[in-house]
Amino acid sequence: MTSRIFVGLRRTRTAAMAWFFLLLVLQQPAGSYTLGTTVPDMRQAASRSGGTSCPQLTRFDVSAPGAVALQWDTVLGNNPATILTADQTPSGQLAEIEGVIQQAMGVWSGVSGTTLTPAAFAPLARTSLSSGCNSSDGFDTICFDQNDAAFAPGVLAFTRVVSADAIGEQIAPGSPPSTFIGQILDADILVRPGDSNSVFATPAALPSYPNSYDLESILTHELGHVLGFDHSVVWSAMMFPFAPPPGQITGVRPTPQSPDAPLSDDDRTGLRELYPDSNDVVHVGSIHGRILRASPLELPVSPPGVTGIFPANVVAVDDATGAIVAATMAGWSCADPGPPQFDGSYAFERLPVGATQSYQIYVEPLDGAVMLGNILQTTTAICRNALSDPGWPLQFACTVPPPAAPFSARIRPGP
Amino acid sequence: MSLEQLTSAADAIAQVECVSASATWQDGAIWTRSTFRVVETLKGDLGTEVTVRLPGGRVGPLTATVDGAPRFFPGEEAIVFLARTRSGDYSVAGWVEGTFRVERDARTGRRSVTQESSAFAVFDLATRQFRSAGIRRMPIEEFRARVAAAMAREKERTP
Repeated sequence: MTSRIFVGLRRTRTAAMAWFFLLLVLQQPAGSYTLGTTVPDMRQAASRSGGTSCPQLTRFDVSAPGAVALQWDTVLGNNPATILTADQTPSGQLAEIEGVIQQAMGVWSGVSGTTLTPAAFAPLARTSLSSGCNSSDGFDTICFDQNDAAFAPGVLAFTRVVSADAIGEQIAPGSPPSTFIGQILDADILVRPGDSNSVFATPAALPSYPNSYDLESILTHELGHVLGFDHSVVWSAMMFPFAPPPGQITGVRPTPQSPDAPLSDDDRTGLRELYPDSNDVVHVGSIHGRILRASPLELPVSPPGVTGIFPANVVAVDDATGAIVAATMAGWSCADPGPPQFDGSYAFERLPVGATQSYQIYVEPLDGAVMLGNILQTTTAICRNALSDPGWPLQFACTVPPPAAPFSARIRPGP
Repeated sequence: MSLEQLTSAADAIAQVECVSASATWQDGAIWTRSTFRVVETLKGDLGTEVTVRLPGGRVGPLTATVDGAPRFFPGEEAIVFLARTRSGDYSVAGWVEGTFRVERDARTGRRSVTQESSAFAVFDLATRQFRSAGIRRMPIEEFRARVAAAMAREKERTP
């Protein structure tokens, strides 16, 4: 179903009046845009660029079993020890940490309606390189004792994901070439070492070390990045950017019955969009729409071609449960060969459908709680041009428009 | 990180304007070096220009993404809390938390700062509204005063 949200807009004189949200009840369901994207390198031949300048999702090729091959570096710092376990024996400590990693993998592979099944992961391997988190080796590694120069004060852990902007790219000699745009070629998780203020505990050890960060929550979040997620604006989401305080966990612990229990619906919807299962008959709903100014004269004149609000934060809430099922940074669309058009479009995909299923859509322009300057990394990932990439073909170039000015709104139902 | 923690963690604090940014492979990873013109130094000694190295960027047909690391583009103004990493390069303390974008009101000309991490708004199901934490659209004079106060408190604590 395609619906439209029409927003009547007026410039306002006070910042307070710039705050608003709008509501529209729709009959059918909606996806998430907490996902990484990459724009194909159109300076390459069509055989390598795919002939499109539309942003492509960043994800793994999971068409073959064991496609996501994670290893973890068993070198653990002890000066100070930053990974705390209940079992203090050397082998027991490694087994306990490995169990946490596997549990985190199980969280993401436990979501129904995706091809990221347990079989998509190769058996977790070990390494003892102490510097295994190298982006150019093609191995997806978790490191606990690599004192990477990227660690700045306050950074507990991070994930470095390298993806291909062209087909046929290799990350290392002998590694398989990329078969699609956005394919992840290397992803490494680095957990901060050597800092007595950043100590992590396994779930078994956390009750005894309440001033430690929950290792399972941290690893599950970072694994989300490994799989292609960006950060989410949904506070209850696993992909919300800030770690729970020491001694606390994100969501609830997974169980054999609910392996994906720590995730929010926003995380699940995003995963279904990244790794859709064509056999899934439950999560087949979508909501598409546009956020438009009532007066086109109020749209920015530069760059040309802006026909809707960009960017906007859009959230879909399940009417029955009140849960956020998806959140997206919207305001653009793209059809081959591109480039993206800033027409106010939003799209939610892979939502559960049912006779009584309905959703409410909330929209906020990027001049309120979220501002354009705050999400430059996300928005600039949509466009490439000669300024950002010398030699970029003019016909595939686009420029991110300035944020919508403060405005008030009125609401009309879609057709 | 609180403003006090950021101030304490920073080796230098400055209002800067980005003049260039470029990404390269280095030490087995893709890094972006952003060079800034120093508009005003609030803490430390930076000279007229400073270069910051942050993980991520695009080199050829490969893109390295590190969520949480700020990106700067030529012409942008910010107040950044800089910390030296073990490589000796400057990074930004707390990454997006230590990045405060400077904005100028087109109508009044007044400048304000917004903490990059305050982008992560919470959608509150109870009120069905977006809300956010962190420093947002604070007049730059007030922000500078807060930083100065945090530095004074830090100095008092230092024996």
